[in-house]
Amino acid sequence: MRFQSQKVAYYFFATCMLLLSLQIVYGFIMAFAHMGYDVLHNVIPFNTARTTHTNLLVVWLLTGFMGAAYYIIPEESGRELYSVPLAYLQLGALVIVGVVAIIGFHFNYWEGRKFLEIPRPLDYLVVVDVLLFLLNIGMTIWQGKRHSTTSLVLFFGLLMAALLYLPGMIDTDNQTLDSYWRWWVVHLWVEGVWELIMGAILSFLLIKLTGIDREIIEKWLYVIVGFTFLSGVLGTGHHYYYIGTPKYWLLVGGVFSALEPVAFLGMAIYAITMARKGGRTHPNQNALSWTVGCSVMSFVGAGFLGFAHTLPQVNLYTHGTLITAMHGHMAFWGAYAMLVLGIIAYAMPLLTGRKLHDTTTATFAFWTSNIGMIAMTLAFAVAGISQVVLERRVGLDFLTVQKELQVHFFGLTLAATLFTVGIAAYIVNFIRYGLPVGEVTPEQPGSDS
Amino acid sequence: MLSKSAARSFFLVGTLVCVAFFIGLTVDTLGRVPAQTRAQNLTDSVKLGKKLWEKNNCMGCHTLLGEGAYYAPELTRVYERRGPQFMRALLKDPQAMYPGERKMVKYNFTDAEIDQLIAFFQWIGEMDLNGFPPKPHLVQLAVTATSTGGGVAQASDRPFVFNQMCVACHTMGGQGGLVGPTLDGVGKRLTADYIAAWLRDPAAVKPGTRMPRLPLTDKDITELTAFLSQQK
Repeated sequence: MRFQSQKVAYYFFATCMLLLSLQIVYGFIMAFAHMGYDVLHNVIPFNTARTTHTNLLVVWLLTGFMGAAYYIIPEESGRELYSVPLAYLQLGALVIVGVVAIIGFHFNYWEGRKFLEIPRPLDYLVVVDVLLFLLNIGMTIWQGKRHSTTSLVLFFGLLMAALLYLPGMIDTDNQTLDSYWRWWVVHLWVEGVWELIMGAILSFLLIKLTGIDREIIEKWLYVIVGFTFLSGVLGTGHHYYYIGTPKYWLLVGGVFSALEPVAFLGMAIYAITMARKGGRTHPNQNALSWTVGCSVMSFVGAGFLGFAHTLPQVNLYTHGTLITAMHGHMAFWGAYAMLVLGIIAYAMPLLTGRKLHDTTTATFAFWTSNIGMIAMTLAFAVAGISQVVLERRVGLDFLTVQKELQVHFFGLTLAATLFTVGIAAYIVNFIRYGLPVGEVTPEQPGSDS
Repeated sequence: MLSKSAARSFFLVGTLVCVAFFIGLTVDTLGRVPAQTRAQNLTDSVKLGKKLWEKNNCMGCHTLLGEGAYYAPELTRVYERRGPQFMRALLKDPQAMYPGERKMVKYNFTDAEIDQLIAFFQWIGEMDLNGFPPKPHLVQLAVTATSTGGGVAQASDRPFVFNQMCVACHTMGGQGGLVGPTLDGVGKRLTADYIAAWLRDPAAVKPGTRMPRLPLTDKDITELTAFLSQQK
């Protein structure tokens, strides 16, 4: 840690841990409902659990990105954060918006549009909050000693994420157009600008952890984000196959989303190559595991499993089935959850001054959560394939098929338990680090670690 | 070897070209969607139905146009599959219509709101969705399968109301729901008079039965009684 103000990141990371725990609780509520035990139906019906689960994910990832930015930007810009109180204010406001939204979800107060359920008045607060965040980060970069590619890509990614929140607020009476604009937000976030954020954070971690020259890492960062946008922007078409939009989207979406795995494969090869080439061994190998793991699991989850049902001929049958849940879980885990957990694993020893990165708990957390998530993905895959065959191909009744799937949700619950044990270990390690009281070490000339 | 500035140009040019294409296609799509979605039929009732759909987060359990959650049935072609009478009864009291099954929240909709929701589903059902939902084709029914857009295999030699309502819970020839007992051979077990009385009001024949009283007309009951009593 080079600057006092980087400690702000700790409170964002702590919020992440809290929201992630809550997200897992709601996941279990849904898994039990799918098994036939919807005992909480009167208090937390399925749509409440589902909405809370996905919104908590989005909020904790965004909180993690903000925390990462508050850690990375001062270090990359060579100066203290523009305003520390503003950062705390902005975190407080975000938490309040989040809490109000989640309570609202339990009282039928929401917008009912998948992933964008936060009610409209709160949407405006989110926008204001993100603008404050961008102001803080932007001013730090603007007044900084240097403008690194990593910090510019990170800022550009965060700025675009904020701008792309706006199409989701376009009001329309036509369900098709409603979906059309909704995907501008959701798709262009997760398969577009969030990947810029991901690329930038990965670059920062690789520069720090491998000791490879910044110029080389940042050059490949441009190549990878270039491929991301080449495939991802027109790849939005894979959401426009069957919602009442013209048929040419089957061609456009099919071709460009078939290229999407290339960007993820590039990211994985890039991280692995840099990690192997790294001349020196950084003490924090756990952070390197999360970094390389993130690139590999995002290729499997987002790249490979996404490709598995992105072709229009396949998607005709898998669209709107549990296959989407299979792909979604591993994609978000690999690309974004592991990324945030990776930057936390890197920053915590520096923020707190306690070297708990090579404890057994830390290693156990990495492997157990990943094995748990792979098993969960397999359970969703079997359930999804069964659903596609029985419901879409054989033509059995929906509820009849759902009863056949209950056993797979039992398997899912077992896998999710393993995953939860891994996350619990991660959080235990996080708590053991304690508060951010680490010492500031001034930058040595020529050093980039 | 690739230089950093060449890599940056690749990123910037590639992104700009793709974004330009994407915006162009979006403009074209916005022009074509009204015709493809029959936007001329977007009445006030349909619009209010959409508001209800969003206000109650129906997408949190169901899918519509294949989008939403995977806990409750896909509703794109529900108007064709179940018909307005069944939908009305279900929206009034969801749990009565599928006793002992996966639960839907009872929303206490007014009659006007139910009309709006049904209008919304009817409008959704008329869209051109490039072939979605797919027709099931692995099944070889003993009788010819009709080409229902509902995505569920059904036989064509049966009363229309049977294919819309009864199969929601009962099977016949292996097709249908598993909520109630199968109707194969029901004509052997029950007389025509019993069937007619049962359909009129199940609870009057057998107090405490879980079968709901369905919104059937006299014509429906005559037709169903004739059909069911032939099942021997």
